Amino acid sequence: MIFRSVRRRAFLIATAIGAVLAALPSASDAAAPRNTLVIGVDTSDTITLDPARMSQYTPPMTLKAAYETLVTMDPGDYVNVKPQLATKWERTADGKGYRFTLRDGVKFASGDVMTAEDVKFSLDRVLNLKDQPAQYIAHVDRIEVVDPKTVDVILKDPSQPLLTILAAPAFSIYEKKIVAQHGGISDSSAKDADKATQWLDQNSAGTGPYKIAGWERNATIQLVKNPNYWRGQPGFERVVIRHIGDSAAQLLAVRRGDVDVAFNLIPEQIATLKDNPEIVVQREPSLDFVYMAVTQEPEFNPALAKKQARQAIGYAIDYDGIRDALVGGSAIRPVSFLPIGTNGSTEQLTREIGFRQDLDKAKQLLAEAGLPDGFSFELSYGNASIVGVSYQLLAQKIQSDLARAGIKANLNPMDQVNLRTQFTTNKSPGGVLTFWNPPAVENQLWASATVERVARRVHWQPPQEVKDVVSRAAAETDLQKQAQLWRQYQEAMVDNANLVILFQPIYQVAVRKRVAGFQLTGAGWMADFSAAKPVQ
Amino acid sequence: MLRYITSRVAIAALMAVLATLVIFLIANTVPGDPVLTQLGDLAASNPDYVARFRAKWGLDLPLWEQYWVFLRGIVHGDLGMSIASQRPVLDDILQYAPATIELSTIAFALSLLIGIPLGILAAVRRDSWIDHVARLVSLIGVSSPTFWLAFIMLAIFYGGLQIAPGPGRLDPIAFPPPTVTGLFLVDSALVGDWDTFWDAAAHLVLPSIVLAAATLGLITRTTRASMLESLQQEYVRVARAKGLRETMIVTGHVLPNALIPVVTLGGLAYANLLTGAVMTETIFSWPGLGRYTFQSAVSLDFPAIMGITLMVAVVYLVINLLIDFSYALLDPRVVRR
Repeated sequence: MIFRSVRRRAFLIATAIGAVLAALPSASDAAAPRNTLVIGVDTSDTITLDPARMSQYTPPMTLKAAYETLVTMDPGDYVNVKPQLATKWERTADGKGYRFTLRDGVKFASGDVMTAEDVKFSLDRVLNLKDQPAQYIAHVDRIEVVDPKTVDVILKDPSQPLLTILAAPAFSIYEKKIVAQHGGISDSSAKDADKATQWLDQNSAGTGPYKIAGWERNATIQLVKNPNYWRGQPGFERVVIRHIGDSAAQLLAVRRGDVDVAFNLIPEQIATLKDNPEIVVQREPSLDFVYMAVTQEPEFNPALAKKQARQAIGYAIDYDGIRDALVGGSAIRPVSFLPIGTNGSTEQLTREIGFRQDLDKAKQLLAEAGLPDGFSFELSYGNASIVGVSYQLLAQKIQSDLARAGIKANLNPMDQVNLRTQFTTNKSPGGVLTFWNPPAVENQLWASATVERVARRVHWQPPQEVKDVVSRAAAETDLQKQAQLWRQYQEAMVDNANLVILFQPIYQVAVRKRVAGFQLTGAGWMADFSAAKPVQ
Repeated sequence: MLRYITSRVAIAALMAVLATLVIFLIANTVPGDPVLTQLGDLAASNPDYVARFRAKWGLDLPLWEQYWVFLRGIVHGDLGMSIASQRPVLDDILQYAPATIELSTIAFALSLLIGIPLGILAAVRRDSWIDHVARLVSLIGVSSPTFWLAFIMLAIFYGGLQIAPGPGRLDPIAFPPPTVTGLFLVDSALVGDWDTFWDAAAHLVLPSIVLAAATLGLITRTTRASMLESLQQEYVRVARAKGLRETMIVTGHVLPNALIPVVTLGGLAYANLLTGAVMTETIFSWPGLGRYTFQSAVSLDFPAIMGITLMVAVVYLVINLLIDFSYALLDPRVVRR
């Protein structure tokens, strides 16, 4: 008796589940409709969408869609700035700053025309909020409105670069009237009195092709078309930036067409898309790089205090092996802290003056250092991955490379917080594997970092000549002469061998063929989709 | 009875606060500095900037004062500001909690719906094929690593068979329903937006199956063991002798007694689900508490860690109270005593 009723009950339950599953909307037509662009990317580092507080990796992409800057950089050309909201710029008459002539006919998303007042408001706000972006324009003294179409940026130190820095999305121009309405303050009381960040997290008041319509943390950023975009109608009605934290899930989603773009795929996953008829893998060299910082503090490691010992490390590493086996071939390598693509840094130069694997030379250098039997040091790294390569794997590869020259690297995995703390407080006892990504595309920022704060971290006191070369290069306006000075700087860096660049990744982003005009860039905002539109 | 309840609640509240103290002390012994992780490279090397940042988050105060600030805050319902997200911890928790609550509740309901009947059948039909199936299912559910199961489900049903929707709570281009509770099923039903309702339901299927898998094993085994034990009791023989139908004996007499350990363990399993499952949430891009807890722990975000600890303690407290109340329903002897 029970058996019959049990069997009947079991069947009913099975049918109920089946019925529920059948009633769920079929997901087979999940491909996004033609007029919405869906981007799949890990946005977990997004804290805010207020340009004046921008300090993370992923938000600049959204900012570049909603806002524009005075000047910008084209993908692949990280040397010359191009006009965006400013059509012309020149030194002011007294040489103390730059005079920008603003473009005519640019309207904000609200329909109002952009004027110099908006530029002054936006840049003053960054300066006075004193959040992280302000540090990069700390050498700006003041902004002056000359007339509605002309604005002056006066510098404290006119020899310091400005244009390349202003291309960064942190220095976006927004509409004074609207931001002020929502609590935006641009004068010296901004730091404590400004209340616009909350509004700017969910909205935008810019000139870009799309405007921010909402942000659900760790879920989606919604953008809608800006009908007043000065370049004409944008290609899509909506853009959705979808947080997908797992790269394998992104792969499934881009294959299914649920997302049109997948940013965080790792080399092995990219390889599986090679013959996919619906997807194209776009490649763009980034300006980021993975490097090893080696201390020269004798108290931490007497062997590393010797320059030749550090140089030996530089000549023992199998860089090509790292590129091919670990990063799937998708990387390049600069000489030193200036990524390839910027003025003065090319692959050719790396071949000429950069490190390369030469075990004989490494052993010879060790002998010169009085360490013919090699030496040992601690190699620290975090429990993270970069472009799909785990630091653990990278460290193991380096360890085995160095062993062939007689150098023993003791692996020391640490958690990110501890590693960062130890490194930034100048307490790293050996080598550290870490990552550099530029907040703004300006050589001077990186070079000066290496002779200032990064030098402190490796306990290097750079000779005055090296610091002078950096200053002169930063102030030099002739690009050829500048490149020569940067070459001198890079030679000095290779000679001192504190910073060994391992690879500069080439972004590989999967884009479905139904989207045209999606432009990757290494300039810091990952992609520019102002010209993106559905393929007809 | 009332004195029993109030004393239980008071003790539990004290335990919750003590838990935060322990976590606070432990978190502060970790040598890392959360400030340096939150700042960009240039800012982290600028001592003025770091000092200002530290002062803003009260990290330059002595430990006991930091904790005192936290305690004072709790009384006003203020859990402090998260260093990572730069907004009130309470806001963060309230943002991510509904996603986790919705998923956990569905997953738990699913595991009860399948687990209890399966356990009963396994006990009643001991050593039959259904018993073996039940035990096998429990074993697989409990032993499968969550991240593996989550991805396998996604790869098979979403990537391969294409019958399930992708990661996330809703379709990529869908707008969430107007927020009332944060539970999409409830909110969309409240405004009659049935498209969103079914979309949310479809997105819940795979992650809840994954979460239910482990809990299912526990529920099935516990129900089976408890039923087996209760079936041995004297009163069952009496009931059979009296001529009662077997179904009546099993469901009316044995089951209420057998359910007590199931409720205890099941309740604790539910509390565990409610505090979030970081692996499932990551793979399904579910913006829930598990991922938030993990992120806060990893970046040493002290206020967030403390807020979460308190929340977890409160969740367990409430669930335990509910379990105690359910005993009263299941076993009248508890109340009479």
